[in-house]
Amino acid sequence: MWWLTAPLRTAVVPAQSGIIPRGTMVEVFEEIYLVFLVLGTLVGVVVIGYMCYLGYQYRDTGDGSDGGDGSGGDGKKIDRPTLGELPAGSGGGRKLFTSLALSAIIVISLIAWTYGTLLFVEGAPAEGQQDFEVSVTGYQFGWEFEYPNGHTVDTLRIPAGERIDITVTSRDVWHNFGIPAFKVKSDAIPGQQTDAWFIAEQPGTYQAVCYELCGAGHSAMNADVIVMEPEKFEQWYANTSGSNGSANASSGNATNATGSGANATAGNGTSGNGTGGNGTSGNGTVNALIADTASKLA
Amino acid sequence: MKSDDSPTDDTIDGSPTGTDAGTERAGRTPADTDGGRTATDGGHAADGGHASTGGRVTAATAEGELVTPGQAGTDAGTDTDHGHGLPPLGSVRRYLITTNHKDVGVLYIVTALFFLIFGGVLALLMRVQLWGPGESLLSAGAYNQAVSIHGLIMVFWFLSPFAFGFANYVVPLQIGAKDLAFPRLNALSYWLYAASGLLLGVSFFQGASFAGGWTMYAPLNLPTYTPEVGSTTAVLALLLFVVSITVSSVNFLTTMHRMRAEGLTLRRLPLFTWTILLTAWMMLFAFAALLAALMILSADRLLGTTYFSFTEGGSLLWAHLFWFFGHPEVYIVFFPALGVMAETFQTFTGKRLVGRKWFIASMVLVALQSFGVWMHHMFLTSINLQVKTLFMATTIGISLPFDLMVFSLIYTMIKGRIRFATPFLFSFGALVLFIVGGITGVFLGAVVLDYEFRGTYWVVAHFHYVMVGGVTALVGGLYYWYPKITGKMYDEFLGKVHFALYFVGFNLVYFPMFLAWETPRRVFDYPPGLAPWHKIATIGAFVLGASFLVMFYNLSTSLFTGEDAGDDPWKYVTTAEWTVPSPPPLENFPGIPTYRSGSIDFLSEDERPALGGGEPAADGGHAAESTKSGLTDGGVADAEAVAARSGAESASTPSSQGEGHRGSHAPEDGEDEHEDHASIWPLAIGVGAFAFLLGASGFQGGEFAGGIAGAFYAWVLAIGALITGGSLVGMTRERFTGPSGPFGESWPFDGIENVKTGVWIFLASDVILFGAFIGSYVFIRVANGWIGWEPIPHDPIPGLINTYLLLTSSFSVVLAMVAAEKGSKKGVVGSLIVTIALGIGFLVNKGIEWQELLHEGLWLSTNVRTSTFFLTTGLHALHVIAGLAIAVYMLVRASRGAYLDDERPIEYFGLYWHFVDIVWLFLFPLFYIL
Repeated sequence: MWWLTAPLRTAVVPAQSGIIPRGTMVEVFEEIYLVFLVLGTLVGVVVIGYMCYLGYQYRDTGDGSDGGDGSGGDGKKIDRPTLGELPAGSGGGRKLFTSLALSAIIVISLIAWTYGTLLFVEGAPAEGQQDFEVSVTGYQFGWEFEYPNGHTVDTLRIPAGERIDITVTSRDVWHNFGIPAFKVKSDAIPGQQTDAWFIAEQPGTYQAVCYELCGAGHSAMNADVIVMEPEKFEQWYANTSGSNGSANASSGNATNATGSGANATAGNGTSGNGTGGNGTSGNGTVNALIADTASKLA
Repeated sequence: MKSDDSPTDDTIDGSPTGTDAGTERAGRTPADTDGGRTATDGGHAADGGHASTGGRVTAATAEGELVTPGQAGTDAGTDTDHGHGLPPLGSVRRYLITTNHKDVGVLYIVTALFFLIFGGVLALLMRVQLWGPGESLLSAGAYNQAVSIHGLIMVFWFLSPFAFGFANYVVPLQIGAKDLAFPRLNALSYWLYAASGLLLGVSFFQGASFAGGWTMYAPLNLPTYTPEVGSTTAVLALLLFVVSITVSSVNFLTTMHRMRAEGLTLRRLPLFTWTILLTAWMMLFAFAALLAALMILSADRLLGTTYFSFTEGGSLLWAHLFWFFGHPEVYIVFFPALGVMAETFQTFTGKRLVGRKWFIASMVLVALQSFGVWMHHMFLTSINLQVKTLFMATTIGISLPFDLMVFSLIYTMIKGRIRFATPFLFSFGALVLFIVGGITGVFLGAVVLDYEFRGTYWVVAHFHYVMVGGVTALVGGLYYWYPKITGKMYDEFLGKVHFALYFVGFNLVYFPMFLAWETPRRVFDYPPGLAPWHKIATIGAFVLGASFLVMFYNLSTSLFTGEDAGDDPWKYVTTAEWTVPSPPPLENFPGIPTYRSGSIDFLSEDERPALGGGEPAADGGHAAESTKSGLTDGGVADAEAVAARSGAESASTPSSQGEGHRGSHAPEDGEDEHEDHASIWPLAIGVGAFAFLLGASGFQGGEFAGGIAGAFYAWVLAIGALITGGSLVGMTRERFTGPSGPFGESWPFDGIENVKTGVWIFLASDVILFGAFIGSYVFIRVANGWIGWEPIPHDPIPGLINTYLLLTSSFSVVLAMVAAEKGSKKGVVGSLIVTIALGIGFLVNKGIEWQELLHEGLWLSTNVRTSTFFLTTGLHALHVIAGLAIAVYMLVRASRGAYLDDERPIEYFGLYWHFVDIVWLFLFPLFYIL
């Protein structure tokens, strides 16, 4: 389907300098949301205001001003509908299409504008950008996070300021993994893998939430997300499983270091078909990048 | 039908009061049995009555002043009931056996309002829980049930039936028909709907009802995760509901395409009827996909097939099937509301719709496009960027026609004489709400924003603004048609109070949801900072709920104390329902409605031959065929598990009871033949289906549970099957005369009579059903790896033999038809015997094949390969069995000499049978060779 995206991509890419929102998921969201909110409110107020104006202007005052003769105020006779007539319309095509064109321009330009951001969001990390991968597996009722070294935890610890690529799946029913603070979300579907990324700017403790009804424990299906200073994270990460060498293990054969569940990676054993999957390449370079980060920070 | 009464052409002022006849008709409320009877049943005497003037009565010329023939009914009102077997309006019994579209419409509206209360109470429970974060009133499980069943009830059991209550009542009136094409099927639709609703209610008492959300995502919808019997019952209830919808769609489409008054071409149809027409087409196809999804889900739950537990794609398969149905469903529930808005805007602004043809074109476009946007519900699944882009584009595409419709409604107000009566207040409010819903929907069209809004209250708020916005318009419709339906005027002041409370309550409950959008959906635990918004929303919910108390009080007391409404309580109405008395007489019109002169006239029976212009020769034949179609709307069906579906099949299955009447049906003679308006069988089938499915709910993984409960369910199942089967036979054997033609406009089915049109329309939905089954098989096979998938039967030879058997049987049906044309009884009987023998041969051969597979340990639940094989070919086998049941019935009749002078029933059966054969031609290579 290149014919569909290719022209759009070329149309959008040159315009990316400045107009297309980029940055963290939070920045992207806030910029687009604001524009939509302002324009949406404006359109809403204008259209509804116009409706109310018409409703007032042409209200039936009951004084017969537009009564017996059926004139519309400007002296012209208005042909009122009569009982039993064949249904018909009353002109107005041009006015209609002008308004349609106007609204179409607003909507299409807005969506096209965000499409540039979609390409950016869906894209691989930019060159030189550090990223760090975590596999997320949903289950009834909790989240399990697996690091490239096979370390498995139920509290997600990540370094601040780095792009975190998550690959999400589920081991039982359909969940949806989201961290509202970082505006990241992805469906957790058994047998499928979905990808998303985010950047956490500030160290602190946040919450991951399930956004798809998944059973009785859905409301409480949260996990803590602890964003750490990069160097502190490095220390913590280095002490996890001690099996740094296995960093390039693909998610399928990772060992369950913490023993938090016998079938911890059951969902991963089967690779989903048709997934975007662009976040799952390059596992091997992760540790190099981490090391790189650490040395830079030091 | 002739009455010697001269018509009294009363001149009526259009205002609610001041009707001459008003006093005469006083007291004839539906609750008033004696009076009601004359007003409604007797009313149709007017039909003959003014015919005796030998001319037509012209309705409506001057603004506000109209001359209606309807008043003739008041004189003729004392005329005795023609023995349609219908008890008077006020009696309960009438509503149990009625097949009249207006009664059925009332039943739909009242039942739907009951479900509004049911769903509304569940919503209030949720809002109480959400007063503050955390568990309070409801347990987690109970909360999930409230969420799920609230959604299911409002979308399925309230919105569509509410709209179709109006459709039932108003559409035949608007198009100039006496009733729907298949009145008994219409009643059947209602009773299946009622039974399904009851079943849903029962599910709460079987452990727990379904708690997996109205979207019923897999695999949470499987017994592994929702093991309660009640969950199964809820799924089966929905299945039955879908069957009801399918029957209803076929009926409405046949009616609207075939039975319009002369001059009422499709382009000229009133807008409400237009929206129902498009809604019914969308329902026909969209619900077929849901039917497939629910059949598979039921098989997974009851028989242990493994479609949705299949890890490599079961979840996604459900999502695709569900949303393929689910997005058109949004328009299915919204279009009728749009129709009400269009009608009320025209009436209360005193203006015809601006850009009417573009408005219609937009709706057609939306209806078509609605089947191409479903993946925008799945932006966060593993679909790739290209697909996302495509669906983003189609989503924007589908939003634009709505812009046009909104502007069209707004511009209609210009130079109007706008009267803010209650119906218009609701319509006006609905448009405001819909605009807000539409704008917030554009947010979701931007994929990047959708990523963030997915699963949050933004979505909840957005679709409530759209869907409950639609409800707002429909409530306006209730006020708009209330005077027509009851003959009484509601209290205008209380109506306005209702609107004020409603509009304030609506915005109080749903607008804060935008502000608290970060709350995850279907969760009762949320960040404490959002609590103030949720408190406001909860208050709003109670205001909204209370506003309906005002409505119920108003509408129920007005029934007794309201002023008489007159034929046309509004001004500037145009459509035909306002040209007849309120409530309209049993057979609606005082003559045959025609728009030949540009506005509605009623022709007497004598003038009928003049009707139909270009095809005078077809006239007699027309009448005969139409009478027959009325007679044959029952048909045969078997008592198999799919028998419920064969309600629709039976529509397509001509039984032959029309035979006896054929030939004697020149229109003049037709006057002796009164149309029937009562049948007990639809209710009986509803009862049977309820028991059957209730029994089936106790079945899990291929067996009943042990002990008393299991035995209970088994017995209920058996009794239900007996009642259903017996009632189907009873309905088939019943003599029933439906509406007779000739009809004015029937494009595009001019030369195709009602039953045949019905068969074709039904088969169209069956195509989607099988298409969804085959599509599911292909989807799962691709997910599993196409190449590594071995066909289940090792030997394609039995399948090949079956292919030949079926093809041959198709030829023998054709032979039967030819023999019937030639008048050879022997030929008909012989060919039918051959057909049946070949069909049985097919089943026996299949039985042997399955037996062998079973011995190898391969059965439905063995793995996903066997599941797809057995379920898909099993569905086909059930179609064969249903066909055989019909064929046996026809054989019996043929042996008594039927069909010799009319081979059409054989032709219709042939259509179905050929279709079943063609399906096999697809299944055989897919499941035996590839």
